[in-house]
Amino acid sequence: MTGTVKTTKEPLFHVVKHAERTGRQMIGFRLLAVALSIVAGGLFILAIGHNPIAVYGTILEGAFRSEIAIQSTVKFAIPLCICALGVTLAFKMKFWNIGGEGQLIMGAVFASYFALNFPHWNHWVLLLVMLVAGALGGGLWGLLAAAFKVKWGTNETLLTLMLNYIALHLVSYLQAGPWRDPEANGFSKIARFDKNAGMDKVLGVHFGWIIMLVLVALVWIYLKRSKQGYEISVVGESQDTARYAGIHVKKVVLRTMFLSGAIAGIAGVCQVSGSDMTLSMGVAGGVGFTAIIVAWLCQLNPGMILVVSLLFSILEKGSSVVQSTYGLSSDCADVLQGIILFFILGSEFFVRYAFVGRSKKGGAK
Amino acid sequence: MKKILSLALAAVMALSLAACGGSTASGSTASTAASGSTAASAETTGAGIAKEDIKVGVVHLSDPAEGTGYSYTHEQGIQGMMKNIGLSEDQLVEKINVSDTDAAAVQNALTELVEEGCNIIFATSWGYMDTCEAMAEEYPDIIFSHGTGYKSNGTNFNNYFGRIYQARYLSGIAAGLKTESDKIGYVAAMGKDNGEVTSGINAFAMGVASVNPDAQVYVKVTNSWFDPEGEKQAAEALIASGCDVIGQHCDTAGPQLAAEEHGVWGVGYNSDMSKDAPAATLTSVMWDWSVYYTQAVQNVIDGTWVAGEKVDNYFGDMADGLVTLADLNTDLIAEGTAEKIDEVKAQIVSGEWDVFDGKTEIKDNEGNTHTLEGADYGSCNWYVENVHEQA
Amino acid sequence: MGEQKCAIRCSGITKRFGSVVANDGIELDVQYGEILALLGENGSGKTTLMNMISGIYHPDDGQIFVAGQPVSISSPVDAQNLGIGMIHQHFKLVEVFTAMENIVLGTPGKLPGKKALKAQVKELCANYGLEIDPEKPVYEMSVSEKQTVEILKVLYRGAKILILDEPTAVLTPQETDKLFAILRQMKAKGCAIIIITHKLNEVLAISDRVTILRKGKSVGSVATAGVDAAKLTELMVGHAVSLSIRRPEPKDVHTILKVVDLTVNKPDGSKGLDDVSFHIHSGEILGVAGVAGSGQKELCEAIAGLIPAKKGAVLYKKENILGKSPEAIIDLGISMSFVPEDRLGMGLVASMGMTDNMLLKSYRSGKGPFVDRAPARALAKKLVEKLSIVTPGIETPVRLMSGGNVQKVLLGREIESGPNLLITAYPVRGLDINSSYVIYDLLNQQKEKGVAVMFIGEDLDVLLELCDRILVLCHGRITGLVDAKTVTKEQIGLMMTGEMTEEEKQKEAQEA
Repeated sequence: MTGTVKTTKEPLFHVVKHAERTGRQMIGFRLLAVALSIVAGGLFILAIGHNPIAVYGTILEGAFRSEIAIQSTVKFAIPLCICALGVTLAFKMKFWNIGGEGQLIMGAVFASYFALNFPHWNHWVLLLVMLVAGALGGGLWGLLAAAFKVKWGTNETLLTLMLNYIALHLVSYLQAGPWRDPEANGFSKIARFDKNAGMDKVLGVHFGWIIMLVLVALVWIYLKRSKQGYEISVVGESQDTARYAGIHVKKVVLRTMFLSGAIAGIAGVCQVSGSDMTLSMGVAGGVGFTAIIVAWLCQLNPGMILVVSLLFSILEKGSSVVQSTYGLSSDCADVLQGIILFFILGSEFFVRYAFVGRSKKGGAK
Repeated sequence: MKKILSLALAAVMALSLAACGGSTASGSTASTAASGSTAASAETTGAGIAKEDIKVGVVHLSDPAEGTGYSYTHEQGIQGMMKNIGLSEDQLVEKINVSDTDAAAVQNALTELVEEGCNIIFATSWGYMDTCEAMAEEYPDIIFSHGTGYKSNGTNFNNYFGRIYQARYLSGIAAGLKTESDKIGYVAAMGKDNGEVTSGINAFAMGVASVNPDAQVYVKVTNSWFDPEGEKQAAEALIASGCDVIGQHCDTAGPQLAAEEHGVWGVGYNSDMSKDAPAATLTSVMWDWSVYYTQAVQNVIDGTWVAGEKVDNYFGDMADGLVTLADLNTDLIAEGTAEKIDEVKAQIVSGEWDVFDGKTEIKDNEGNTHTLEGADYGSCNWYVENVHEQA
Repeated sequence: MGEQKCAIRCSGITKRFGSVVANDGIELDVQYGEILALLGENGSGKTTLMNMISGIYHPDDGQIFVAGQPVSISSPVDAQNLGIGMIHQHFKLVEVFTAMENIVLGTPGKLPGKKALKAQVKELCANYGLEIDPEKPVYEMSVSEKQTVEILKVLYRGAKILILDEPTAVLTPQETDKLFAILRQMKAKGCAIIIITHKLNEVLAISDRVTILRKGKSVGSVATAGVDAAKLTELMVGHAVSLSIRRPEPKDVHTILKVVDLTVNKPDGSKGLDDVSFHIHSGEILGVAGVAGSGQKELCEAIAGLIPAKKGAVLYKKENILGKSPEAIIDLGISMSFVPEDRLGMGLVASMGMTDNMLLKSYRSGKGPFVDRAPARALAKKLVEKLSIVTPGIETPVRLMSGGNVQKVLLGREIESGPNLLITAYPVRGLDINSSYVIYDLLNQQKEKGVAVMFIGEDLDVLLELCDRILVLCHGRITGLVDAKTVTKEQIGLMMTGEMTEEEKQKEAQEA
């Protein structure tokens, strides 16, 4: 009846779902992806006519060659790590906060207000006020997206993303308008802060690194041990379950997004007061986006975020040296980062699935 | 060891100098400071850095390899210096694409040059100034030389610039003679408040007026030093409103290309833009930065400049060769242009006459009169009579 | 003969997912003109096997023959080309399209004209005894009509081999009978039909032969005529099981809650519950019957205080508890426990271990900003022992546990909170027979302790045996509240479709 039926041949391989993997395996898998990406990046370097081993060597050397270099590397890690901790809170709740960049900028803006207008306050009072203001600025910016989501069900990914650009253009407006440095000969920039508004250096790096370490510990404790952290996990898993457990979902969403933004805002304070000593358009410089990658890569584990942020800053710092040593564009660092990201996202697939060859016997392992 | 010893010596010298120099040590005029330094260097010949030990750092705003504008001109100057002095490739470290609106990037670039062991760092863009100042304080044994700004500390942080208005005045002559519509456009990076740009516009407009009293100069501001799209669009807007010669103070050849596309003429800036727009560019106002860079590095080698002790500000002119006018495009210029320019140029180079001499009263377009000394270009926030802002 | 009439034969089919062997050397065959029931407990590998036949998975080992030919089915398109059609539990229809638009959707080649298509669909319907208006849009259809469209879809593609995955789960007894009539007609037309189900009475009613799977292995095929429910259960479970459910006599029955005129809207604004009034008694099990989506979910969640009511009240000693916080309700003397239908999506946090799940409703207790996990850990350990929960550890995410164990965790937690009202929605759904009986026992124990138990069920046989009273819902209205000891399954079936009992009719009339 069916007679001769045409079917395709058995495929060369097919995709099989894996058993559940443990968190440790997942991290291992990602590290493997990083290793592979380094190989692929090497091929890229080779393709543009350089010796990958030498270039990688330069990256490491560039990141660690001297005390100043190490200090710079650590300095790179500070905003990245803090911002990643911030988005981690939101991501744990499955609230896709792509707005770390904007929240960082708003934190920087709020802190800059005090640095520019009250430079002669007592140093520690001023720094404390700047930190609180920065946290408030970032927090409110995060809260805005959450409030829209809670009230009108807007898409938080789009909204937080767009708020980034609003924040950036606010800086543009401030530097061209109200906050323009009168001594800048008409050049649009904001004046450099008084030294009194700068974070002191501890071991050669502004004390933002201490804030970073404290936040790593705090975020870890908050998520793992606190009642609010527990609520975040439940809301992130299922809003129905949260409702069932009597958790006020909207309240948790608003509170968590405030905290998420506030932490990013603190990163902004570290940038303006520790590193830049002024507010400029480049204050975030994409850190808010890289932070998302870092947080994701680390499975939202604060300890891992610290480690991976440092790895990213080694790459960033080292690539900058590669640029001047080999005359390569600093965009090469971006390409390398892109390659890493590609492999990490690719590894997500292999975490869940495996390819199985055509061989009949043996089957999947 | 030797280096440390010499540095220590230099530091002692610096202290003693500061002590006896008193208030004059701030050095507002280059000549007095320079004469002071010769005396000092005679005693501290050991403070000079051997040619082989010199390491030069440069921070560029854009990538010099792309284009003909600002960073390209500076890179030409650096390469000229390398050749003049005879430095090898590995004695030069350059950071490119360092945005002057990104304070962190500037800071990182400068820190890296410090890390690389540079003795003298040239920061080419205006926006690097404040960061240079702070870095100079943090690293007193390195010279931070900042282009186009106005800050300096006399010991290891100076600024360098020049009387570019002289060449602009000459280019104004070419434009004034060429225009048929008596409307000349000018694409300006910054608005009236920016003395560097505004003084240049004035010099250009005065050059125009000197040969063509009827011609008017229309200014359009892009609010960015480097904006390839915006600069071209600004020029197109000017052309649309009837301008037939386009001058410019911005980093790309966009305005010249626009002029060429629309069959009008232009005056380039930074480098000779007739290679970008051969059918439009009458001439170009140019810098030859190698003049300064060679002198600066030589000063370090000779021990005339010693970090932590003294460096001088630099303000060059046409006579030094820092400021030049590109060869006139003989196919395009109006008759008599070359003669007129040569005549004025001779007066400027000989010092017989200058555009901004600090004495002659100049009328602005609001009816007030001013005097302006070329070195005070930063204070110029008014336009001369034949200049009009276009929104 | 044999091979020639054999529609599908599976030989030694093996499929592994990671370390789990879902199918282990399975043997199965079905002839043209035969209805085969595939019987097995949850997790015995029925769906995996059918997914391999319909091209969704690929076997690791073994061979599938279609019409005697060895074949390799790499995709659902291959399956379709081989004349195999699968009707899934969840319908895959475009709501805004009409029946015939859905039927023709995705077929290769040029689409026939509207008239021609309508004729084709009508002809198919006539051939197989199906009834559908080809131009009716899907969003206006009942569940059974949608199922009919799904069947037409595969028939239109020329399927001669049909696989139905638990097709009766969403149907009333009457609709089930209608479906079976259709299946018999298809069989008469020479189709081969595989029906997956775990309802024994249906297996006995429709199939010619039964293939039984147990723990991924095929334990045998028997002719339906020669077996009974007890025998099938034994084959399925591996040992003899008593199928009778205990029903202890209710003692000390009194009303603890009065539900009065309760009206609840669904999120889309339509009425989920419409003027529902009844009493809940302590010390008895009140069953709730109804076709899926008749308001059961709204009823549970409204009483549990999870969704707001539009109108009406839930009275405890004349005090309305609707809108009160759980703490306030407990202060009044009522402790409610709700075991929701969606265990992992509502009752538990799937990615958390037992310990953290124990905390779900109690994490707020204790002073300070931190969670005290010690009592939760102790409770988790206690439950593991008391209910013999099988899990690698109390910190293992509960989603990795089997359905029965998940239900024990959820129900155990709720019972441990010492409720006097226990609401359970489909507590045995997806559970194997042994687990189901454990759950029935737990519910009976609660009843004997004087707890008021509400049991939302789908298997009428179970409802009739376990409950004391049965409330029947249809479209959000009560169409009957009957004594489970005297009512028949057919009567309940009628009420489920909207036929009211005389008593209810009188009530309606009084209110009108």
